[in-house]
Amino acid sequence: MKRRQFIKNVALTSASLPFVSNGFGMQALSQKLFNFSTGAEDRVLVMIRLNGGNDGLNTVIPLDQYANLMLHRSEIIIPQNQILSVTPEVGFHPQMQGMKGLFDQGKLSVVQNVGYPEQNRSHFRSMDIWTSGSLDVSETRGWLGRYFDSYNPNYPAGYPNVTYPDPFAISMGSEVTATCQGIAANFSHAVSNPNNAVNLYQGGFVNDGSYYGEHVEFVGTIIEQTNSFGQVIHAAAQAGSSLSAMYDPTNNLATQLKYVAQMISGGLKTKVYVLSLGGFDTHDNQADATNLQAGTHRGLLKTVSDAIAAFQNDLQLLGLEQRVVGMTFSEFGRQIESNASLGTDHGDAAPLFLFGTCIQSGIIGPNPTIASSLPDQAGISMQIDFRDVYASILRDWFQVPTNEVQQLFAHQVQFYSLAGTCNVSLEEQALANGSMLVYPNPTPSSVHVKVNLAEGRAMGELRDAHGATVKTYFDQNFSSGVHTIFCDMDGLASGTYFLVIRNNENTLLEQVVKMK
Amino acid sequence: MSLIPFSGTWTRSEAAHLLRRTMFGPTHQQITAIANMTMTDAVNQLLTVGLLNPPLAYDAGETVVAQGQTWVSSLYPSNPLSNQLCETARVKSLTGWLMQNMNYQAMDISQKMFFFWHNHFGAAFSSDARATYTYLELLRTSSLGNVKQLVKDVTVDPAMLIFLNGNTNSVQHPNENYARELLELFTIGKGNQIAAGDYSNYTELDVASGAKILSGYLVQGIRSSTLTAAQTLFLNPLHDTSTKTLSYHFGNATVANAGAQEYANYIDIIFQQPQVATFICTELYRFFVNYDITNDVEINIIPQLAQTLIANNYDILPVLQELFTSQHFYDVALRGSIIRSPLETVFSMLNSTETQINVNLATDYNIYLNIYYAAANMGLDFINPASVAGWEAFYLSPAFSRLWINSTTIKFRFDIATGLFIFGIPINGYTLKVDTIPFLNNLSLPSSAISVIDDICELFISKPVDPATHADLVNILTNNLPTFEWTLQYNEYLNNPNNPTFVDPVRYRVQLVLDRVFKMPQYQMI
Repeated sequence: MKRRQFIKNVALTSASLPFVSNGFGMQALSQKLFNFSTGAEDRVLVMIRLNGGNDGLNTVIPLDQYANLMLHRSEIIIPQNQILSVTPEVGFHPQMQGMKGLFDQGKLSVVQNVGYPEQNRSHFRSMDIWTSGSLDVSETRGWLGRYFDSYNPNYPAGYPNVTYPDPFAISMGSEVTATCQGIAANFSHAVSNPNNAVNLYQGGFVNDGSYYGEHVEFVGTIIEQTNSFGQVIHAAAQAGSSLSAMYDPTNNLATQLKYVAQMISGGLKTKVYVLSLGGFDTHDNQADATNLQAGTHRGLLKTVSDAIAAFQNDLQLLGLEQRVVGMTFSEFGRQIESNASLGTDHGDAAPLFLFGTCIQSGIIGPNPTIASSLPDQAGISMQIDFRDVYASILRDWFQVPTNEVQQLFAHQVQFYSLAGTCNVSLEEQALANGSMLVYPNPTPSSVHVKVNLAEGRAMGELRDAHGATVKTYFDQNFSSGVHTIFCDMDGLASGTYFLVIRNNENTLLEQVVKMK
Repeated sequence: MSLIPFSGTWTRSEAAHLLRRTMFGPTHQQITAIANMTMTDAVNQLLTVGLLNPPLAYDAGETVVAQGQTWVSSLYPSNPLSNQLCETARVKSLTGWLMQNMNYQAMDISQKMFFFWHNHFGAAFSSDARATYTYLELLRTSSLGNVKQLVKDVTVDPAMLIFLNGNTNSVQHPNENYARELLELFTIGKGNQIAAGDYSNYTELDVASGAKILSGYLVQGIRSSTLTAAQTLFLNPLHDTSTKTLSYHFGNATVANAGAQEYANYIDIIFQQPQVATFICTELYRFFVNYDITNDVEINIIPQLAQTLIANNYDILPVLQELFTSQHFYDVALRGSIIRSPLETVFSMLNSTETQINVNLATDYNIYLNIYYAAANMGLDFINPASVAGWEAFYLSPAFSRLWINSTTIKFRFDIATGLFIFGIPINGYTLKVDTIPFLNNLSLPSSAISVIDDICELFISKPVDPATHADLVNILTNNLPTFEWTLQYNEYLNNPNNPTFVDPVRYRVQLVLDRVFKMPQYQMI
């Protein structure tokens, strides 16, 4: 997808479009999803769905809470000496050697305590919430489908075409992904093996406007798309390659990721790939503290960890690391207390993973706090809204303007720095334009601020949500140019703050979230 | 529109619609038979469930009973390896048998209603094929019975206890898995979350209380070498004997300790809520009529069905009678509104062409297993529902049955047609390929190309096809010759019924027509 084609597309479709608002005042967006201002043109997002509700506490283990975890889940807990420490406070499940390796290389981050307000513990409703990016039951579209819809209102009629020869998204396997459900059709194309060519019979048909007619047209369109997309996918798979020796052929997730690498390297312009792994609904036989070989969770985590490590290795060998980031998601975490079946019941928030060279690596957000005494059915409280993770990835990775991102979500979006470390040119641009960069954000302790200052006096301070100054960092003369300044936030309560830098010319302001 | 009785003329068109919706592919003669009855007789004929012979041993892994005998009440070998091999053999036998039942369907609704309840309860294979068989037979034999009793029976069924961890739910360690799904998916349904932990029809308190009420069960005899069946046990020391309180959605009712009877008391309380009937009838409507619950349907159709269900103390038969004799069910606007599930796709190809597998015991089971895997590849792994909510095509808005169709599965649908009608599918030295001659001979006027295509379209396509498509199909049958050439060709075959020179071309032309029909978008709907 070239920039000039984008301009052409806008010219064709910028007229006022029909758009279901769902009462949120979402508006038709005149710009398309991927505003390729700087380098986003070839970027790809890979999402791995861990279906069933992954037990975050058995995946990313808060080492500083271990004693209290023992009180609640001693039957299933990993012995302390078996845990893979990645920081002094955080450890990974022993089967996650591959992901620990990525973490050590700065290619993996953990976003802690991700969920949404008033957690719904039904698999079905909660997965709907995660895939739609909305808490509104009337929202039937996926969060990506909503965006694709906004500039492709007629899809699937007329697609593929010269401007969009490739699928917008690919769902690996035999199901399309709900994240890409649009009004009229799903924007994802199901691919089980891109090496297989397709050439299906395309019959003639008439849509008589009835339910039947609509279905006939739908099936006919799928057949046409299957042929068209099938050809370009097959061609990409033929042109592409996979170089890593780390893929385990018995690991189905790894095989699917290998296909993804093959399609990307073969030049397919698909922006989103969605994969799924089931089995995480571990009500029973999840793990056994007395027998580390027992239980199903260890195998699931090994599958995920090995597959992601192999994929990242492949991207490195293929020279594609700068083009791909990935994330995992699951409909909820599980309860803190284990049940009598060596399992865990449906819970609330959980960590998710981001991977790639362009992500903000490290542990984002504090460990959950495990009390010694818990109410019945207690889960982990959410601190970071998953919709903000989506929104931040759209902003950081696909460089969608923040106002457009906000229009996709009903809640007030809180942006975090999650996937912008490759945006060097963008960063320079931002600094040149007189804004500042604050990182990490959210932060457990302190932040660095990077700012382009004119020669002369400038003052920096931190204000709380009510505007009261809580810290003054500097008030001094600066030379002209970019300065990186450390701003200590230790000792401050968790919450939202504003970092303010003023000089004679203007005032810069950036929201900072402290989480502890 | 309300559920007023059908008042139009009862024709082949209505008969075909009723059979397509209630069976896995009717035959031409079945449509004729139903069209020749009154609508009431036809519906009553369809609303029956018969007895079935149990699955038979055929695989070498079965070392307890002889080949050709049933294993459903037999012990397992005590040796662990033999035990595992035996279970694998029984699972294959059971799986093949389930497919055989669809292939040998009686002229009734029983296989469809069985599928409805199997999707409703969503339990996957248990670790004991006998328990799985017993559970599935419970669903099938109760499929036209009392819903409340079925929910009670399923609740304490060994396979379900294992599937949703009811067998490890104790007073010491409550496990909420079954208690949650009982409310969310099996009875009252989950509404919108209107407050923290409050899902309109029940709350998290009800889930927690339900887990207490349902505590105390164990399952014994799983793959046992000493017990001939999996059995449910109730152990009082594992049961929570406190008095449980339900939320305001159930009038803050309390459930006193009643030991092994307590689950039934609780289910009675749940079924006092009329929302249960609404939930079940909405699911029925989506399964048999249309995915789209329009305002009219929500106001006029569903409540009337629900009222009938409640008035009959949750007997489902009167509800189905009312639905299948209503004007609404036969509304032309709703014909073809459901996309075929993978099993309907395959079994319509077989059943409607009168193809019943009958080679020998082991080959038959192997063929059925292959059919099973074909459906699984198209998204319907029958013995392992996609989740406890069943398959998304039956509940996930807005796409519903469209979810069966995507680039991967449509290719598979086409491949199956090609395999069954053009190339044959080699299975264990036998080639499975439909013989279209008996099918053709049973149509209303086989010597007429136009009539043959009319019959085929009536059988496989839920609305009249457009003239261009009809002409295309006629041309395939006649090989683009004038239609009288088909008549001549067919009559020559009749005069030389054993001469391949005359038989094969006739058979082949029909194969080509059917192969084309199954690749038309129009075929994919019922």
